[in-house]
Amino acid sequence: MAARLKWVFLLYRLPRNPSTPRIALWRGLRRLGTVQLADGLVALPLDARTKEQLEWLAEEVVDACGEASIWIAEAGSAAQERALAGRMAEAVAAEYRAVSAAALAARSSSPAARRRTLRRLRRELRAIRLRDFFPPPEATEARQAVEGLAGAREATA
Amino acid sequence: MKWATRRGIHVDRAACAWLIRRSIDPDAEFVFVDDPSEVPAGATPFDMRGAELGHHAGDCSFETILRRYDLDDETLWDIARIVHEADLADERYDAPEAPGLDVICRGLSMTHDDPELLTITGAIFDGLYEHRRRALLLGREPA
Repeated sequence: MAARLKWVFLLYRLPRNPSTPRIALWRGLRRLGTVQLADGLVALPLDARTKEQLEWLAEEVVDACGEASIWIAEAGSAAQERALAGRMAEAVAAEYRAVSAAALAARSSSPAARRRTLRRLRRELRAIRLRDFFPPPEATEARQAVEGLAGAREATA
Repeated sequence: MKWATRRGIHVDRAACAWLIRRSIDPDAEFVFVDDPSEVPAGATPFDMRGAELGHHAGDCSFETILRRYDLDDETLWDIARIVHEADLADERYDAPEAPGLDVICRGLSMTHDDPELLTITGAIFDGLYEHRRRALLLGREPA
């Protein structure tokens, strides 16, 4: 039985107005792929990078006259941990499915348009991978769909 | 002068240390700590929670230092674009160099301790500076 994962929590309270810091925080949390546990409580699997990134967001909350603290936690049961990881995997899986669909839709377009889409989707995949802590099967499918657009490279691979 | 930052250096702190030695304090001595409470008296903390030289208003610490010390060298700001994206990847800037710089620093942090890492990344940032300086001068990528 593998040891339980450690998680880093950001607990925060931010005034409703002005909305700019709230939107900046929301964007930051989305970019990092945090899972929302309750109002004002989000989590990520703990590593040096995730803890640091949440600490910086905490700092921004405090700069915006809010309150924020960072906590290290462990799920009380394996089932709870699986449920949380599952929710996170499902969230990125939806993003991967959107990328796959965009790649498939671009197959029949002109070579120039296909190349543009390929560049955009590769960038999107990189961003999703940064917040993908529990890679779902859709991750591989999306990569294959996107690289399929490269065509010529696929033939020589 | 003494400067303090968190142990386990990554790209923003490596870039800050290089910048501090290059443009602020050639004799800078770096101390690595686990917690803000361990910063020695008289040392200036950077890239740590609660430090003035940290992330502010969406800027990474490298950008904060450029602002606080009025370093208006355009090549340094071009490097800030790359460091910001390598550290935060928030797409504020177009920086195709960033993912490469990020993995190089991550890899080095697996094989070297913090003082060694600063020596190596110092040379990397010297090279990056020269490359970007020439690129800005020529208005195209240098050969």
